[in-house]
Amino acid sequence: MTVSSNFSGDGKQLVITIDQRFDFSLHQQFRDIYNSITTPDLTYTLDLSQTEYMDSSALGMILLLKDHVQLYAGQLIISRPSETVRKILEIAQFQRLMTIE
Amino acid sequence: MPKSQKLALVVDDSKMQCKLLSVLLQEENYRVVVANNGASGVEMYIEHQPDLVLMDINMPIMDGFEATRRIKKLSGAGTLAPLIFITSMDSEQAFIDSVEAGGDSILVRPFTPKVFKAKIKAMQRISDLVDQVKNLQQEQQNDAELAEKMMSGVIEARNFALDKIGVIKKAATIFSGDIQLSALCPNGDINVLLGDFTGHGLRASIGAIPVTETFRAMTKKGFSILEIVAQLNRQMYTLLPGDLFFCASFACISEHDKSAYIFNAGLPDGYLFDDSAKIKRQFTSTHPPLGILPQLLPDAQLEVVQVMKTDRIVFITDGIVEARNKAGDLFGFPRFEIAAIDGISQKDLANTVLNSLDDFCQNCEQEDDISLVDVPCSGWKEIKLSNKVLTPEGVSEDDEYLSNIPNSSPSWSYHLHLTGRLLKTINPIPLIMNQINDLEGAGEHWQSLYTILTELFINGLDHGVLALDSSLKDSAEGFSQYFNERAHRLDKLAENSTNGTQDYVRIALRYFPLSQGGKMVINIKDSGQGFDILDVIKDNSIAMNNGIKLSGRGVELVSQLCDTLEYQEQGTSVTANYIWHN
Repeated sequence: MTVSSNFSGDGKQLVITIDQRFDFSLHQQFRDIYNSITTPDLTYTLDLSQTEYMDSSALGMILLLKDHVQLYAGQLIISRPSETVRKILEIAQFQRLMTIE
Repeated sequence: MPKSQKLALVVDDSKMQCKLLSVLLQEENYRVVVANNGASGVEMYIEHQPDLVLMDINMPIMDGFEATRRIKKLSGAGTLAPLIFITSMDSEQAFIDSVEAGGDSILVRPFTPKVFKAKIKAMQRISDLVDQVKNLQQEQQNDAELAEKMMSGVIEARNFALDKIGVIKKAATIFSGDIQLSALCPNGDINVLLGDFTGHGLRASIGAIPVTETFRAMTKKGFSILEIVAQLNRQMYTLLPGDLFFCASFACISEHDKSAYIFNAGLPDGYLFDDSAKIKRQFTSTHPPLGILPQLLPDAQLEVVQVMKTDRIVFITDGIVEARNKAGDLFGFPRFEIAAIDGISQKDLANTVLNSLDDFCQNCEQEDDISLVDVPCSGWKEIKLSNKVLTPEGVSEDDEYLSNIPNSSPSWSYHLHLTGRLLKTINPIPLIMNQINDLEGAGEHWQSLYTILTELFINGLDHGVLALDSSLKDSAEGFSQYFNERAHRLDKLAENSTNGTQDYVRIALRYFPLSQGGKMVINIKDSGQGFDILDVIKDNSIAMNNGIKLSGRGVELVSQLCDTLEYQEQGTSVTANYIWHN
């Protein structure tokens, strides 16, 4: 499994972790994780510290997640991207669209 | 039966069995050929290419498993002549072995004719389905190839100056999600775009046609590159689904201004190289890809750089730097830069980079579309100066044809008075050129008029309303300082909404048809402090004598294009006469 997720103890944060490659092959799995979650005011943390590579369709998947988060008045945080991934996020200037820690 | 009969091959060493199966098959309207061992079965298969094979297992010379393996190897993927084992070996192992060898089914003796015929029908149904899928695939492939051909006909074939721009375009599938465009602006500048839609294949290429249409139409009408980017962003935002977007780099290169305007939204760094292959500048992405946000970010702005005639601008998509070799290493920026530098010294950047990339990747499967544009900063079509008072043969200069006809009134006139915020947000020149085209029809001679209007309007705005000093543009540092200051003052102008109407530029056109052409009288007035006209002219002539070319407010170019050019009211008003003949 390269996509995993768990709620924080207080249930206010959902952490999604992606290992190795973040690309189109994870499309369905990635969407399944958040699609049924409709809790308002939830913080979604996308942990990319274990992600080695990310392609442009992954950027598209993050945008879809962002749409979902906004729909339920939540917050999206991209957490600790590795150097390669940070570079890709920077080229796409995603720091202008969402929080990257 | 009129329908072409199908052919079955029966392979069995028992003549008795062959006869029996043949009769049953004939009742199902098959023609039948027979072989009595595996080896001759393979030969018969090659010779007759049957639609169905019935295979015994235990036979002399070559058994049924081996014969099946050979036949399946020959028939290859995609074609299915169903092969059924007919056997009395009713064991689990026989069943497994026959599937392993490539058999499609097994029928264990004894069986009734009804069961046999049902089996044949079932197998035939499967093989018909395989045929259908194969035909559909072929059809789709043909359609895709045709569509791709038409799309690149619409898109790339109509690009401007294809011979001067170096291009790499290597699609990962039939359709490319990358797009390269070039188009000539009315004033002789050139607009270039390199774009990359998310993903690749058909899904990624559908946005290419609207992008192409908008880019060409707006360039032709004289919209600035930032206006084109803003419009493409809006268009892609409404057109593309949420997870699709468009990364793109834009350049507007002005040979006569020796400048280039760059915008990079989501592509890897672009490059400015000089003729000794030194990297003079890199253009980093400063904006999210197009189609994500409904509007460009408020601080979106162009990068302005001074360029020499011998410089070149190079854009790449991530397919180049992210191409992988067998070991899984990326091609990366350092390898790209080495190849590009090498390519410039060999005067063929595109092919040198492509060769280096091929050497690196060997025959690895290409994962993403690969593209590059290499654009020289000069060598575009010169602005035609021939419109200036060229008297056709047989017409003397005193003729009414060129005279001013002082008392006649214009056939139409046009006034536009822009104030405050609108000076920042509106580019009036395309609006005006549209009006002129509507009133007088399209024509080559409007190109020069476009240049005259643009230069004079920008002068009025920059040096009049915004009080910017043109001498700043003479040095490389001053050059970017000039454009930063310009953006800053325009913002202030836009914010100052209460007092806004005090700042203005007024454009007035009067059109006089002549017997063999026409005359346009252009007057542009601004709210600025004016300038000492003599100083500018003096400066310019001194500079010219010393062989230096000042930025000189573009006046020199305009005066070459016009019949007359005159400043009045301390330089806050300028009148130009532009005359052409048919």
